[in-house]
Amino acid sequence: MTERMSNREGLKGMANPTRYGLERVAYWLQRLSGLGLLAYLIGHIYETSSIVNGKVAWDKMLELTQTTQGHLILTLVIGMCVYHTANGIRVMLGQGGIGVGKPGQPEYPYKAASLNYKQRLCIWVSIALAALAMMYGMAVLFGD
Amino acid sequence: MRESIIMKIHYGTALGAVALVTIHILFRMTQNFSESLQYQNVIANYHLLPYALMLEVVLILLSVHGFNGLRVILLELKQGIVYEKLINYGSIGAMAALIAYGSRTILMAGMGMS
Repeated sequence: MTERMSNREGLKGMANPTRYGLERVAYWLQRLSGLGLLAYLIGHIYETSSIVNGKVAWDKMLELTQTTQGHLILTLVIGMCVYHTANGIRVMLGQGGIGVGKPGQPEYPYKAASLNYKQRLCIWVSIALAALAMMYGMAVLFGD
Repeated sequence: MRESIIMKIHYGTALGAVALVTIHILFRMTQNFSESLQYQNVIANYHLLPYALMLEVVLILLSVHGFNGLRVILLELKQGIVYEKLINYGSIGAMAALIAYGSRTILMAGMGMS
């Protein structure tokens, strides 16, 4: 409890999406998808580097990645990419003062103007867009 | 460099990457997905100079954005002079290494050195 109050939970605290509502979940998903996308970027660059070793090496790499598991990972990457983009644009606009409301006197029940319905709607739209993109991605990947 | 400038770079690289990654994905959709990944098709993509240049730009934008994002996360976790220096320089090093490795692929495949 003392650790929680002193805001020194470290990784455990960062990995916990609960306690602070939908905005916290959005923050958590943004971090998680960012880390996932960075891991994918590194993997993708390594994967494509096999092309310099010729056709045999490339085909061997394709055998490894163009599988059901590979396609499922790619579907997840599509979802992470779309969510990270859409929510990232929301965050960018928010930092620019767009859609966060006007500052005012703190009055009971102390609802922050920045955590308004527009922000919540944007978070849900980001999640919905990611889900739609994943479904479309699956149709393309598994439709071959 | 001031953090406010770094965040502007972070947002700029994000917007640039979104536009260029869209083109990168659309290139895969010009034909059947698995066909587009065939060796000859991919090599042909690398031989197309504007596309190869675009890949290089995407590589730089995503590396800068990705490793700066990781840097921000790690700095949020823990603070301290030595730790922060380690994270800052480590991120720049990792970013440079990834760009160098990716550029090597683009250059070698583009020049037919495979």
